[in-house]
Amino acid sequence: MSTGNDMSTGNDIIALAATDADRTCLYRFYSRIVSPDELCRHPATGLPFPVFVWLMWSIKESVYKYVSRADPRLRFAPLKILVDGLWQREDYYEGMVGYGPATLFSRSFLGEETIMTVVSGQQDFGDDRWGMRVIGDSDCATCHPDYFTQSALVRTFALQSLSTVLPGAALRIVKTQDGPPEVWDGGCPLNIPISLAHHGKYVAWSYRLPANNSTYRKSAANRAASSHLPRVDLLEITGLKRSCSSCEYSS
Amino acid sequence: MERRAILEELRKVLYPYTENKELLENIDEHTALVKDLKINSANLVDIIIDTEAKYNVEIDFDSAEKIITVGDCINAIAEKIPR
Repeated sequence: MSTGNDMSTGNDIIALAATDADRTCLYRFYSRIVSPDELCRHPATGLPFPVFVWLMWSIKESVYKYVSRADPRLRFAPLKILVDGLWQREDYYEGMVGYGPATLFSRSFLGEETIMTVVSGQQDFGDDRWGMRVIGDSDCATCHPDYFTQSALVRTFALQSLSTVLPGAALRIVKTQDGPPEVWDGGCPLNIPISLAHHGKYVAWSYRLPANNSTYRKSAANRAASSHLPRVDLLEITGLKRSCSSCEYSS
Repeated sequence: MERRAILEELRKVLYPYTENKELLENIDEHTALVKDLKINSANLVDIIIDTEAKYNVEIDFDSAEKIITVGDCINAIAEKIPR
């Protein structure tokens, strides 16, 4: 199945409290996001309509981030990104998404207050890692973190996650002027695409490890190491269907 | 309506979606809504709808897709306003 650019990742996080449910239900709002064909998928999801609309947005925004890595000139056009399939799995909604000739796959985790989506070119998400955190009082002086606080903290949390895969590396996230963020080890860029998102007090990240590269693969030792990451704030995410102790995921 | 006048009105539309109000004071046609004003992308549809209401125009999907900067937004409005 063609994915255009297999070596990418894309994610998004929606803080539902920061959205306007009444406005979302207006035709002139949701018709800019959801196509008539996609609208037909709503009843089968059993989701409240505004949540369905933002689920669609989250998937499409994630796909846009995925594909724009190869071409930063692309513009976000939700109605040109088509959710061709949407299935409810045990822990998430799985989507199959078409964008031009490419077919991508999405996983969206719905909580009481959030929608987190990650997109991959691989249906099994075998090389993808992702996670989300809520910014708590210990991270931020206020419960209403500004853009720069959100931006700094999502990088901190993403680097914590990456450090479990690459222990000992001098990891940092570099943002180029118009391109996506990049993961660097000291002065060298790594072949690990990363995507960052924040909305309200929620932040999320995803990255993709090179396939068949044992250097980057998450070893058993690294899995053990990752279990020691501070997870106090994860407990604040009450709505996730999966246990809150594992709000950081890998397939 | 002159572009400068549209920009001034647009500043009011953007106000509720811009966290750092100081950034708004210095906007020009090259200012990018997301990258420069740090507006969350989830608010872009809100901005289009508010703009439509403000000017009593309808910004079609093609025009909306082109809106990246303040100047793009002014273009979308200007081409809909009767001269």
